[in-house]
Amino acid sequence: MGIKLVGILLCLFAPILAARPISYSGGSTIMAFSNTMQDSVYYHYSPSYRFSVGIEAVSDKYTAQEYAYWRSTYLLNRKNTQHSQRNIYLQAGISTQGLDHHFVGVHGDWETRRWFSGFGAKNVKTNTSDYSEKFLQLGVAPYLGEYGDLHTWLMLKSKKDSRLEGWSTYPVLKFFKGNLLLEVGYDREIEWDSHIMYRF
Amino acid sequence: MQPKLTLLIFILFAFGKSASAETKHTHDQHNHDTTATPSAAAATERYEGFVEDLKDSKVAVVEVIGMVCDFCARGIEKTFNKDEFVRKIDVDLANGRVLIAYSSDKLINREEISELILANGQNVTGIEIKKI
Repeated sequence: MGIKLVGILLCLFAPILAARPISYSGGSTIMAFSNTMQDSVYYHYSPSYRFSVGIEAVSDKYTAQEYAYWRSTYLLNRKNTQHSQRNIYLQAGISTQGLDHHFVGVHGDWETRRWFSGFGAKNVKTNTSDYSEKFLQLGVAPYLGEYGDLHTWLMLKSKKDSRLEGWSTYPVLKFFKGNLLLEVGYDREIEWDSHIMYRF
Repeated sequence: MQPKLTLLIFILFAFGKSASAETKHTHDQHNHDTTATPSAAAATERYEGFVEDLKDSKVAVVEVIGMVCDFCARGIEKTFNKDEFVRKIDVDLANGRVLIAYSSDKLINREEISELILANGQNVTGIEIKKI
């Protein structure tokens, strides 16, 4: 309950989220998302560590439409310490359907090698309706792998889509090794929530 | 709404304060998670293992902050490997340290190293150059 309250409070004051939306300078990332509302494939390029531009092809299951977003992400704030990193990102996207279909959002995370927390909120305006997505994610690494090892995270994600009723809270497993990251969550109501990412 | 706003400000303040305070610690003093911070002896052993097969080289020992995630440190290896003088790299997440072995004819520019680390999103706090 406490976790949910903090998530709601953060989302009240912040209009979104996605894992590591900016790569290193000159790096490219391709990722795919799949959940009960949509499937998408997103490619982005980072001219610098503070900024990325990309395109996301979306298959919207809710409206049975297919479209794309021209997206950009800006690193608003980063704080590095010996054992932690904190980030706040701003995101925006414009649909190929026209200027009336766009989104804005904010995404934040804080992590150490052992702990992870992240939140996000996104407001989407479409030609037919407006909606919002919010989430909070907390995680712990059961072991600390060395550089190059398989890394594992046990996470709890709480998500709210204004088109659906209530918050969904469910476990998520995250794995990464080398340039590949895989994140899979499951909830009885929203079923699978998966995310795969490759950096190059 | 006022109590919610107050609570949010408190959370952000507490978070920010703890994060700022962390930068004042030296590496050896900071030991909140002992499993995340090996001993100095382990770091020395790692360095010795790194230079074991090197000769006629220079090694840059780079202290880095914010390097908490393997996936996020990938760019460091990729960036430095583009330099033809670089022989090998070791990314030590636990100690926040990057070892870069250059051939001996490389003129090492500390500022360049700092900029390349920054381009990956982390910060350099110290660089020591050692000749092998």
